[in-house]
Amino acid sequence: MAFIELRGVSKQFGGVRALRGVDVAFEQGRVHALLGENGAGKSTLIKTLAGAVQPDSGEITIAGQRAQLSPRSSKQLGIAVVYQEPMIYPHLSVLENIFMGQELVSPGGFLRRGEMATRATPTLTRLGLDPSILEQPMGALSIGYQQLVLIVQALIQGARALIFDEPTSILSKEETDRLLGILRGLRESGHAVIYITHRIEEVYQIADEVTVLTDGAVVGHFPIAEIGSEQLLALMSGASKRDYQKRSSQGRVTGAPILAAEHLCVPPYAQDLSWQIYAGELTCVYGLVGSGRSESFQAVFGHLRPASGRILLGGQPVAPRSPAHAIRLGIGYLPEDRKLQGIFADKNLEFNQTASVLRAFLQWLGKLDLRGLVRATDQGMREYGVKAKHPGVQIALLSGGNQQKILFTRWAKSKLKVLILDEPTRGIDVGTKAEIHEFIRRLVDSGVGVVVITSDLEEALQIGDRILVMRKGRIVEDLRGEALNPETILSAAIGARS
Amino acid sequence: MSRLLSSRNALLVLISAVIWIAFAAVQPSILSATSLRSMVVLAVEVGVIALGQTFVIISGGGGIDLSVGSIFALSSVTAGLLMTHGVAWPLAALTALLAGLGMGALNGVVIVALRIPPLMTTLATLFGYSGVALILSGGVDISGFPKGFFAIGQSRLLEIPVQFLLIYLPILLILLFVERASYFGRALYLSGTNETAARLSGIEVGKIRFLVYALSGLLSGVAGIVNASRLTVARPDAGGSANLVSITIAVLGGANIFGGEGSVVGTALASLAIGSVTYGLSYVNANPVFEGGIVGGILIFSVLAQGLLGRLQRARA
Amino acid sequence: MKSERLRSARRSGGSPGRRLGQFLLSREGLLLIFLLLLGAAIDIASSGSLLRFANLNNLFVNVAVVAVASIGMTLVILTAGIDVSIGGIVGLSSAIAGQLLTNGTNVLLSLGVFLAVGLALGLVNGILVSYVRIPAIITTLATKSIFRMLVFLTLGGVWISSIPFRLTNFFVLTRIWILPVSLVLTLALLIAASVLMTHTRTGRWFYAVGDNEEAARLSGINVRLVKTSGYALLGLLTAVAAIFSLAESPLVQNNTGSGFELTVIAAVILGGTELSGGRGTVLGSLIGAVIVALVQDGVILLHIQPFWNGVLLGAVILASVASSGLRLLRQRGAR
Repeated sequence: MAFIELRGVSKQFGGVRALRGVDVAFEQGRVHALLGENGAGKSTLIKTLAGAVQPDSGEITIAGQRAQLSPRSSKQLGIAVVYQEPMIYPHLSVLENIFMGQELVSPGGFLRRGEMATRATPTLTRLGLDPSILEQPMGALSIGYQQLVLIVQALIQGARALIFDEPTSILSKEETDRLLGILRGLRESGHAVIYITHRIEEVYQIADEVTVLTDGAVVGHFPIAEIGSEQLLALMSGASKRDYQKRSSQGRVTGAPILAAEHLCVPPYAQDLSWQIYAGELTCVYGLVGSGRSESFQAVFGHLRPASGRILLGGQPVAPRSPAHAIRLGIGYLPEDRKLQGIFADKNLEFNQTASVLRAFLQWLGKLDLRGLVRATDQGMREYGVKAKHPGVQIALLSGGNQQKILFTRWAKSKLKVLILDEPTRGIDVGTKAEIHEFIRRLVDSGVGVVVITSDLEEALQIGDRILVMRKGRIVEDLRGEALNPETILSAAIGARS
Repeated sequence: MSRLLSSRNALLVLISAVIWIAFAAVQPSILSATSLRSMVVLAVEVGVIALGQTFVIISGGGGIDLSVGSIFALSSVTAGLLMTHGVAWPLAALTALLAGLGMGALNGVVIVALRIPPLMTTLATLFGYSGVALILSGGVDISGFPKGFFAIGQSRLLEIPVQFLLIYLPILLILLFVERASYFGRALYLSGTNETAARLSGIEVGKIRFLVYALSGLLSGVAGIVNASRLTVARPDAGGSANLVSITIAVLGGANIFGGEGSVVGTALASLAIGSVTYGLSYVNANPVFEGGIVGGILIFSVLAQGLLGRLQRARA
Repeated sequence: MKSERLRSARRSGGSPGRRLGQFLLSREGLLLIFLLLLGAAIDIASSGSLLRFANLNNLFVNVAVVAVASIGMTLVILTAGIDVSIGGIVGLSSAIAGQLLTNGTNVLLSLGVFLAVGLALGLVNGILVSYVRIPAIITTLATKSIFRMLVFLTLGGVWISSIPFRLTNFFVLTRIWILPVSLVLTLALLIAASVLMTHTRTGRWFYAVGDNEEAARLSGINVRLVKTSGYALLGLLTAVAAIFSLAESPLVQNNTGSGFELTVIAAVILGGTELSGGRGTVLGSLIGAVIVALVQDGVILLHIQPFWNGVLLGAVILASVASSGLRLLRQRGAR
């Protein structure tokens, strides 16, 4: 009998269906890989198991018992999640990190450090760690070691199922190999190991079985011996299989690139990037989480500092010091996290829409043309179909799609040479998504150099005239026209040799 | 939102009226033009500091200036020492203003460039600046200023105290303009509401925050000079409660301690309310500790009310 | 891993001589050296007054007053909080219990009231900070003035000066070896607190909350309770400080205790506790308290104007904040 079993689990956020009737079972003594693109529902699934997200429907059974999971009960039932970026107490010792909240104490609350160390030692040794590590401050360890400590913690607290959320994406080769070895050990000791990844080669190294998620639904479940990597790739890109109208952009691209990077390095996110962006052509940048797609363009926008390399704007070398400087140069950037990086939640639409163009409304002595601002906002709202009564409405009261339209208008109205849109349609409804795609096309046609960063392959194929594929901080493909096909792109992005 | 703010302002006026009526019940003679004038004179000094504090709090990022009282003291000591050493009073006053500006700017540099939280920075400079004031003055009050200097804090124009008419009102109007109609004001609110979004929209958040602390220093300097002129003495240990009072005024006037909200008009009206309490207490000869206690109570009450109001609004939305 | 092992080997040090050298270069070591130099300088400048017996006893009691409160302040600052109201707590607890003492109420009962008042006031701060979630500086800035007003109301403008001599006799004049009872009690409390902070579950929770509040919540630690108890304990220990202080100078007036927060915060920061939370030790605060008490004593012995007291303590806080800022800057540069 499976240790964890999900039947018909669904979850919806706003208008977006993150999980659609997921059936999946995780057994003890097996490594079960969950494979899927970004946004396929993997992280929602993890959060559901960790008790952080409550499903709308469906049922979960743990060891044969139906369970309502909360963060606490999930832990008590023996489920542990090792997140990509470990949550730690940097100034406390490794021993204290392992036992925090679960300390062994004698009457009176005295810590039994010796006993805790004794208890941790076999697990440490098993994972190849020297027990002397217990005395180190947690913050002094590398992220790879911090992950191992958290595995030790999970095992000591009696976890029976361990979930790993893309654990290798920020690890070095050596660290990755060591971790995979440890996972094999966990399998042998009868733990259920759930391994979330987008690296197909790792799936073959470690997994006993694999489940593929696409658009929140399970599209396949196989013992690993029964499926080849091409088939897996095809499944992952399944949604992108539809035939897209292939656009030939050759005719529209004219002359010199409007924006170019030469050997741009943004440590540790991106190395030696060289690319050219042309006006009149919609360039999509596709890559998985951790591929350095956002960061490399944040460097172009002056939000991060490149370590070396050149950025050329209209053929002239530029070195944006800050977003403010980049905007003055004519580069705009719509950030990916709408709530944290985009909107001013308790301010009105006018404040939100005009934030990046305020300087254009300067009159005398730092005075703003207030009527002009309202007029411009009103006009922008009409032009881009924002559903709100007037510019004085608080933005937090709008739907996600309308908020995104306001942010898009903020940049579309900025009179830029280049606009970088980072995940412009993430988490918004289908209708608005289509509208925004239409707006982006209009912007391209007006002669602005447009870059759309996306982790949605379907979107990239649908709107891109050209797709740059990034993997581990490098450009691995640069495709146009006929060459645009989902398998090529996906296999380049995940590094499968197919 | 604007309706909420204006209802808050109406409430502040009402509160001030109630305070006056309450004091009149104890001491009817308080209701006079002279009283009103004296209250205004008192309110101008904390009111000017509170305007700076309001901008600091709006700027977000844990914005708070605990050092306002020390800047107040050191500025007035600077002016006092210069005057007693024979420097012409306008020049002395100007230097003291620059000193205030400089102290605020130093706060700003430490907060923005060294990225030390405002609380720690201004707690440290609170002691630092007042230490300098004590050392410079040898710990004693400075007096013996030229007569011309007293015009700032003691004369009247059209029966209105000159520091209200020629200092407070112009500052209020300028800051009202800055808040409502200027680039700086807009950028200030955006920085305080969402720092990352502001930066990614091309707003230089660091510059804005630096300027806000410099402004707070400058305004504390203004208050210090007015105070020295009014009392004919510069006290190195003055201003001890200025941080409490100015924060209270700002919060009572609608400033959100987490940034992004607050208004010049709200702060001005809150200064009126707090000034009325202060004056009323002194009129009925209450010990000064009551002022502190009542102001402290008002501070906690208004932060509480703000939290409740916020929760209510969110529940409705 | 290899480099980590190397580092730990280096830390635990080779020969005893080298270990001593390392200790002297650590923060505590440097503070101790500074302490000795400061003491020697004051003693020489005051032509030997520092080590004269009467002064020494006085100094010991002062150390006790500062150190006992700094235990509590360490707990609060460890959780990334601050309390500037403790001067008011000294004043109010002294005023209330002082009146009982002059009324001829049983001394033990009065001392109980003393402690209860301190605990209650600390609890008020703690609840406002952690349950009502008003920032600590705003809460305690406000309660400081409120407490001060209540002192005035309690005293009604009259000084309390007829404190039973038994109090002085016991806490100040009774000595165990050469140490007055107040200091002995303080040292006992310090040792207990130090053991509590390093060797018990509850103690480590204070560090955990200051180090990563979110993680602490997820580990099942009752973060609000931990924070609140920090303020409550600070209130209680401040009342103990107030008792010692009253025994030393049996007088309660309107401004009793004012400025005490500066003294204690300076001691704690000087002792290596960081205002950003999660780092610091109770024993470090003891060294800080000794230095602060020595400075205060020196100002009196050398007949320097009293305001220098505040100036010097302010400078200490300024220097500590600046040095932690510079360290942050260097870390950022290294990255």
